[in-house]
Amino acid sequence: MRDRIQEALKRSKADYTEIRIEEKETTRVVFRGKELELANANIDKGGIVRCLIKDKGWGVATFNNLDDLLNKADQAYQCAQVGSVPEPIELASVEPVENITTAEMKRDFRDISLAEKKALAERYNQVVLGHSNKIIDTQAVYSDSFTKVTLANSEGTYIEQDRPSVVVGATAIARDGDNVQQAHESLATIQGFEYVLDQDELARKAAQKAVELLAAKPVKAGQYPVVVDQMLAGVFIHEAFGHLSEADFIYENPKAREMMTLGRRFGKGILNVYDDGSIPNQRGTTLYDDEGTPARRNWLIRDGELVGRLHSRQTAAKLGEKASGNARAINYRFAPIVRMTNTAIKNGATSFEDMIKDIELGIYACEAYGGQTQLENFSFSSGYAYMIRNGRIAEMVKDVILAGNLFTTLENIDAIGNDFKWLNTGGGCGKANQSPLPVGMGAPHIRIQNVVIGGE
Amino acid sequence: MDILTQLKQQAEQVEVFSLQNEKTTVEYEANQMKTCTVAESKGTAVRVIRKGQLGFAASSDDTAMDKLAANALESATYGDIAPFSFPDSQPAPIVRTFDNVVAYLPIARLVEIGREMLDLVLPVEPNARCNVSLERSLVSASIRNQKGLDVSFKTSPLSLGLEIDRIEGDDVLILYDQLGTTVWEKDYLAFARRLVEKLKQARIITSIKPGRIPVLFAPTGTLALGLPLSQGLNGKEVYKGTSPMAGKIGEKLFNEKITIIDDGTIDGKFASASYDDEGVPRRRNVLIEKGVLKGFIYDLKTAAHSGVESTGNASRGLFNPPEPSGTNLVIQPGETPLKDILASMDEGIIVEDLLALGQGNIISGAFSNPLALAFKVEKGEIVGRVKDLSIAGNIYDLLKNVEAVSKETQWVYSTIHAPYILIPEMNVAGKA
Repeated sequence: MRDRIQEALKRSKADYTEIRIEEKETTRVVFRGKELELANANIDKGGIVRCLIKDKGWGVATFNNLDDLLNKADQAYQCAQVGSVPEPIELASVEPVENITTAEMKRDFRDISLAEKKALAERYNQVVLGHSNKIIDTQAVYSDSFTKVTLANSEGTYIEQDRPSVVVGATAIARDGDNVQQAHESLATIQGFEYVLDQDELARKAAQKAVELLAAKPVKAGQYPVVVDQMLAGVFIHEAFGHLSEADFIYENPKAREMMTLGRRFGKGILNVYDDGSIPNQRGTTLYDDEGTPARRNWLIRDGELVGRLHSRQTAAKLGEKASGNARAINYRFAPIVRMTNTAIKNGATSFEDMIKDIELGIYACEAYGGQTQLENFSFSSGYAYMIRNGRIAEMVKDVILAGNLFTTLENIDAIGNDFKWLNTGGGCGKANQSPLPVGMGAPHIRIQNVVIGGE
Repeated sequence: MDILTQLKQQAEQVEVFSLQNEKTTVEYEANQMKTCTVAESKGTAVRVIRKGQLGFAASSDDTAMDKLAANALESATYGDIAPFSFPDSQPAPIVRTFDNVVAYLPIARLVEIGREMLDLVLPVEPNARCNVSLERSLVSASIRNQKGLDVSFKTSPLSLGLEIDRIEGDDVLILYDQLGTTVWEKDYLAFARRLVEKLKQARIITSIKPGRIPVLFAPTGTLALGLPLSQGLNGKEVYKGTSPMAGKIGEKLFNEKITIIDDGTIDGKFASASYDDEGVPRRRNVLIEKGVLKGFIYDLKTAAHSGVESTGNASRGLFNPPEPSGTNLVIQPGETPLKDILASMDEGIIVEDLLALGQGNIISGAFSNPLALAFKVEKGEIVGRVKDLSIAGNIYDLLKNVEAVSKETQWVYSTIHAPYILIPEMNVAGKA
């Protein structure tokens, strides 16, 4: 295969040509309610050729049949001829690398039988089902995937790397009359099978939360000081800020570039944010991105000031910065685009107790259902939440949706916890039809003043 | 050996689903024609029922057919008892889903159509940045099973997507809509012109006092109502007991102005076809008629679990087994002309687009979303755009009390056909 890839690269007439081949095997077990919905294995194998003609544009060909790389490279070249960019597209320089690596897992999940994987999901499903008679539906999932990625380009880069992933997850749906509530917990790793064993507690937590939510009252809309747990803080920084740091959002847009001017104040001095794909064993960890740029730590906010952003080679060249290792694709059906890896708010100094002790009336918002941003406007919902009354955690409330303006909200972060943690949840990030991409998130507790909470 | 023939010797029932897709995409980024992609994909998915147990496997590697067969059989070893049989051949409605004009639209023509869209937007708003995606595909699918069912269909989906971004100081406006069709549509730019009209209307920014006020959902805004409804009407949620509508067939759940149809047989529409993805004929399913719940949508498995027939709503990608899924969601028009609805509004808003739809506990019918695009209506006139508002409510309450449904309807987001719907009073929150 390597010979054929290099032959196709050598013959390509484009200014830059890149070939990525992926071989992926996945296993998935899904229980829903009392039933097994699925226990199966899939095979996905294919490739992508991407060509750049600098004064025209990009041409891309994706395919399942790997026998005809020369033809595919030519097709991509023909596609690139169609473009008509007003200025030539440049790529930031990256040292070509030759590296063949293989994943190291303690217990390789490819050696585990489907029977054992099924038994594991079934056990977690039973934990949820057995928790309470109010649980009317569940979902328990085991899934793994092993992808062997080969990436080569016309500049001499040749990389083989493995991308393993194992995920377990439990969803509990509880019902009391017309009141239906749900909670979800998951755990993901790029390490071995042993990591997802003995996670009964995770399943129990999902069940417990769903049942507790039945008794929770909807939150009263208004403005509150909000203490956000690690999970929601991680999702917040990813969704509301991280996406704006992706340089493809600003590189063709002077107004957006102005909004994201380096040096602009993005919060108080206590706020530090980075993205780092080189941290071992996190969900978004990747040795090299899908353009062959090595992963590294990229500071985004330092001492409350915007200091950096995330790049592909194209966005980096356009903005006169360095490629940051953030060009990623979910699979061979897509060209890489600028994505996050592991994004985090750096640990701070305030203890959780100190954070809530002066709050007379506020909200403690935990976990995340999901979120969306539209430039500086964001909205995301917490999985569950509690009122804070007179410096103490009080009753549980539901339907807590935080919405607001990024800049105001970041400025309103007035305490950063000393309890940083990485969130090893499953799922992933979606952008431009590429979903889910595994990303890591990390944060300590944070406190935000004057958050607008929607609701009845 | 053909995989169907091979597996028939090892299992009582076998279904082979093959999918082949050639897709050409032309993308403008920030008004520049930058990327052209040709994507070819193909693969095979197999379901088997062995000793009564259901198994599934899929592969995009046509050199690994033996492994695919082995994976399917292994999956059946652990599978639950299948409550259904794969179907016999049945006569299906003739639905137009293929058009040579679309299937062989030259790349140069796609590039030109993109240019035409930019020419609509940029003269009106020179500072706008448009991302345009023009995509045409040629999809062939076939479904065969051990009963001799052998259904194959070709579709030629064309989708034209236009996103307009306008940033002025701290004011950000993003508009999006798309045309999705499988047959050539003469007025293919109508949706883009509509978007440009909204862009013009959005220039004037005004404000409104939050509180309980009339809210008019524009066809694009009805997605907020349609999403929870589609989930609640899905036979899978009904069977699992999570749908708030479960067990309520024949009950009047909504105002009589509300009639909702799932129709997979409309010529040329994205979600239309003669057969669903299990080889069952697609149908026109009246789900809510004059406010009364009439039925749900099912695939073979959920139908069997519920003791009913499949409604022809099985839908699948290559790597997942079929699931019941809505096709084209048609909210029937009402009797009031839009201008009369507007005239009846003393002060209220028109909701065009919401942020973060689909997040939260949507099966319950509850939603709470910031408004991405909304207009203020004052004494019957649209007076400008309102910002920083959010709306909240529960569709199972809101749709009990519908003031008016417009005569006028639009196809939006490719698969929704909706009128304007006026809710006389609902919660609008914002900075007072």
